[in-house]
Amino acid sequence: MNTLEFCQRLADILDIVEVKPENVLGEFEQWDSLAVLSVLAMVDSKYRVTIRANEIRSVVTVGDLAKLVEAKLGEAKQKQ
Amino acid sequence: MNFTFHRKRISGIFVVVPENERSFVEEMKNFNFPLARSLKLKEVMGFDKRRIVPPGACVSDLAVFGLQRLFEQGWLKQGDIDALLLVTQTPDHFMPATSSLIQGRLGLKQDMLCLDINQACAGFVIGLMQAFMLLEQESVRKVVLINADVLSRKASPKDRNIYPLIGDAASITILERDTQDSVIYSNLKADGSRAEALMIPAGGLRLPSTPETAVLEDVGDNNLRAKDHVFMDGSAIFNFVQTEVPPLIESLLAWAGISTDSVDYFLCHQPNRFMLQKLADKMKLSYAKMPNNIVEHFGNSGSVTIPTLIAFNLGERLLKETLHVCLVGFGGGLAWGAMLLDLGKLDFNAIVEYKENHEYA
Repeated sequence: MNTLEFCQRLADILDIVEVKPENVLGEFEQWDSLAVLSVLAMVDSKYRVTIRANEIRSVVTVGDLAKLVEAKLGEAKQKQ
Repeated sequence: MNFTFHRKRISGIFVVVPENERSFVEEMKNFNFPLARSLKLKEVMGFDKRRIVPPGACVSDLAVFGLQRLFEQGWLKQGDIDALLLVTQTPDHFMPATSSLIQGRLGLKQDMLCLDINQACAGFVIGLMQAFMLLEQESVRKVVLINADVLSRKASPKDRNIYPLIGDAASITILERDTQDSVIYSNLKADGSRAEALMIPAGGLRLPSTPETAVLEDVGDNNLRAKDHVFMDGSAIFNFVQTEVPPLIESLLAWAGISTDSVDYFLCHQPNRFMLQKLADKMKLSYAKMPNNIVEHFGNSGSVTIPTLIAFNLGERLLKETLHVCLVGFGGGLAWGAMLLDLGKLDFNAIVEYKENHEYA
């Protein structure tokens, strides 16, 4: 998974220029329930994996979120 | 679980919405919430206008009002109703069934069946299935299916996760035998292990309402809710819909042996614009084919959103034409179901406003 591309997709959802892996999600003013839904939808459509809302709630930084998606991609590969 | 029905049809749809309209952006001013984010929610989720009942109004009030209009118009005869099904989550009382109260208030004949069905947003599809099953009986010639909820009365006004989204409404759908050799396909699923995603925790016998269950609790994000109020885990429901609904529709179409191209419209329950757009994206359907404009006009009224969608968008058209449609309901239970049928040549298909000071005959 391309982390840079993932960060850009997240930046688009949050409507800001740039996000970095070390950024804390909860510190973005736009990080609300709509942003969470948008991330669920983005991950579903762009990466074809499903993450659950409570999994998102337990991650802290952008990098953690990227790792979560990567882990799901790994699980999906194993299943195939 | 698959079902088929032969030679049955919907012959009319009539929707009752309260005249009292609320504005999402105005209501959000009562919360400590930035205007810019309210406007963003309006744009993305489609939250705008909604209808709620006046204080004290109950499901039977909306239903009786609607049925009386149908009798006055001559669209339905009192004596023709062989079964009265009511799908609701917000009954007038624990007992008796609200369908019995409606029958009593209207003075309908005794030789009929009154039945309440406790179902949420999948309740239009489930109600139709039950009605079609009843029509298998020789003595049942006409079924009146009422879908009605007044959930605004069970939502915390201080919980912006749910209060500004809910609409109250009732619909009356008439079902009869069809002289044409029509086939209706339906597919239904349930998962009670996820029941807590949509729930009113208190007020039943497991947790009776007490002064304690009425206490507003801080549930995060400055939202206050009591156990007497409806709770919805919005993002869990979003996951549920995105994961379960596309395979439901795909398996129904495969079973009926048709492709999405042969379906004129996918008429889904209407939780919000965003969820329906994502569903359409996932199924590679255009937004025109899976319309999503009900929540912005009326709010989310549970099992009444699909008939509202039909009457609002296809009101005139379905009086003359017949369309091949797929109805899709999903929500509390959890329950989700889809139905593929020909819909058209309706005797009526309209929306009427419920007036507060209506005097009953």
